[in-house]
Amino acid sequence: MLNVPAVAAIAAVTLLTVAVGARGVRIARTPDDFLVAAREVPPGLNAAAISGEYLSAASFLGIAGLIVSQGLGALWYSVGYTAGYLVLLLLVAAPLRRFGAYTIPDFAEGRFASRGLRRATTALVLVIGWFYLLPQMKGAGITLQPVLGTPYWVGVVALGVVVSANIAMGGMKGVTFVQCFQYWLKLCAIGIPALVLLAATGHGSARNLSPDLQPVFTHRTTLHVQTSTEFKLAGPATVRVTGTLDRARLADQTVHLPAGLHTAGTGAVLTFGSGSPVPASLTMVQPSSTTWDSPFLTAGTDGTHPLLATYGVIIATLFGAIGLPHILVRFYTNPDGGAARRTTLIVVMLLSTFYLFPAVLAVLTRLRAPELYLSKDPDSVVLALPSLLMPGRPGELLGALVAAGAFAAFLSTSSGLLVSVAGALSHDVMRGGVGTFRLCAIIAGTIATVAALPVNRFSLGLLVGWAFAIAASSFWPLIVLGIWWRRLTWVGATAGVLVGGGACCCAIVATMLGAATRSWGAALLGQPAVWTVPLAFSVMIVTSLLTQGSIPPHVEHMMLRMHLPEGLIRRTYRAGRPYTRA
Amino acid sequence: MTSPADNGARPRKVVVWQHDQARLQHDVIGLGDVQSDTVYGRLLVRSLTRAQLGLSLMCLSIALAVIASLPVIMALLPRARTVMVVGLPLTLVILGAGIFPMLMAVGWFYNRQASQLEARFIDLVDPVGRRLDA
Repeated sequence: MLNVPAVAAIAAVTLLTVAVGARGVRIARTPDDFLVAAREVPPGLNAAAISGEYLSAASFLGIAGLIVSQGLGALWYSVGYTAGYLVLLLLVAAPLRRFGAYTIPDFAEGRFASRGLRRATTALVLVIGWFYLLPQMKGAGITLQPVLGTPYWVGVVALGVVVSANIAMGGMKGVTFVQCFQYWLKLCAIGIPALVLLAATGHGSARNLSPDLQPVFTHRTTLHVQTSTEFKLAGPATVRVTGTLDRARLADQTVHLPAGLHTAGTGAVLTFGSGSPVPASLTMVQPSSTTWDSPFLTAGTDGTHPLLATYGVIIATLFGAIGLPHILVRFYTNPDGGAARRTTLIVVMLLSTFYLFPAVLAVLTRLRAPELYLSKDPDSVVLALPSLLMPGRPGELLGALVAAGAFAAFLSTSSGLLVSVAGALSHDVMRGGVGTFRLCAIIAGTIATVAALPVNRFSLGLLVGWAFAIAASSFWPLIVLGIWWRRLTWVGATAGVLVGGGACCCAIVATMLGAATRSWGAALLGQPAVWTVPLAFSVMIVTSLLTQGSIPPHVEHMMLRMHLPEGLIRRTYRAGRPYTRA
Repeated sequence: MTSPADNGARPRKVVVWQHDQARLQHDVIGLGDVQSDTVYGRLLVRSLTRAQLGLSLMCLSIALAVIASLPVIMALLPRARTVMVVGLPLTLVILGAGIFPMLMAVGWFYNRQASQLEARFIDLVDPVGRRLDA
């Protein structure tokens, strides 16, 4: 079952990306051009490029899926992802641009004159970069699955090959323009379907939005079970069944199902009457202690300590953005600090606009297509919605648009991440030039592809949230204290980065391995930012105060470089003298 | 001539110290001090960073006060969840749309203030250059 419009749309997005990347080959001559596009991009364009690179699989598919399956609390992800740029604007945008380093390791070494700190930050760039690549690859896998009718791994490998090859050939110059285009593509690909479906289905009854209610079918609905699925019924239901249900073979018979767990076999056809409770697959079921209208996120299977888990996500998403390896690099395409501020403000506006739509799609799913609760993966809900709500050609075209936008999301984010990871590998680990960079792009892409094959049981929102948590617990304190606190020493900075980042990684790996699934353990390990970020700050500050002898040299000069308005520097150069003593 | 925005921060004549190179070149506290990293230059830069940080922290505390207090308020007032606005749950209206204009407003206010702050600093340390620029 090949979805022709969707395949065509995805192919077009991919070809366009590769074509502009190829155009970049001719422009990119020096290694500098390869790593960062020349600094001549105006704020509006630059802001769209930043947003295009930032809006990843989690934003495009993950948030809507989480809202449908876990409830309104998942909206905190979109609030945090947007507010993160406000925090970035307030504390780091202009000074970091003025400092003039391309990457976080560059900043660490330039600010603290420490090779050790550079190595520590490089290691974390690789960890965060690869971690963030996993959900992008997973997204590609589940997007291509229904479109091509292929297994999960085909999409993962396809994205890995396209992105690695494109980066190895083109570098970043082409990517800047592609990223800008991809923001607008993504906005259209989520906004147009959301508005069209909203207009087509109307507001009507909001019964399924009422607090504390499990969703029910608003009209007689027939479900075709693709693969054997275990599902949960919130209440008793009368169902007409053809096929296998609870190990009994039935042929167009009416059965009364009690509330609880049931299993439908492959190929079963179930017809639920109007007002009957909606069956939900186990991945779409919330912990019984919370309800869909709850404004909190939960961790673990029992869903306790919702406030703790919610604050964990808020802290990670608010403070993680600047620590993402592919984001910082974009700030150097601003001509000066003032432009960096204007760019960041525009980013906040662009993100605010985009994040209106995942919520619309999620609410539409709950209201109009509750049968999607039977899907096995919450992340695939957005992809399936258009064709369910608008049968026939229009729905198919809207579905193609969504698939293309989703693929654009994976392409743009993973390109930016791969440039950063390959840059860190080639520059710091292998110490080579452009040739090594190309090689490292392929190596890094291959590792990410292979690592992404087993992660499809984790939700996109969760995986991306974890990458943010690691960034917030390591790079955020390093950058914010490095910019504003003269007494930070390289010993303190290194200790904070290693302890904070290390603790966060351990907590996440423990969660992935299933170490804590209940109560406090689940909340503290599953959303670790709530304690690892304060931990990193404390270690950094206390260690720095104990090692005041190792305050980096020229700290005043660094402060000058980061905080002095460019107007002064320009004038100084015009007068023909350097603005500092060597 | 200084504009009213200078608030008396107009460069003053100071006592010339023989051993201070900066003093010999420019007998006015200003850009020369900043460039040459004199005691005065450090004080100037410190006052600038302090003002910038103060502005940033003020804006940050406004935004954080709203964001961080929402979960607590929602936990303390569980009945607020049942409020429906234009047929939609209040939670959805606030977190799905209402909070974004607040973020933009704080960012816009900060950008304006930060630019003004930098312009005032340039006026303070390099009034001549600013006039030449204009």
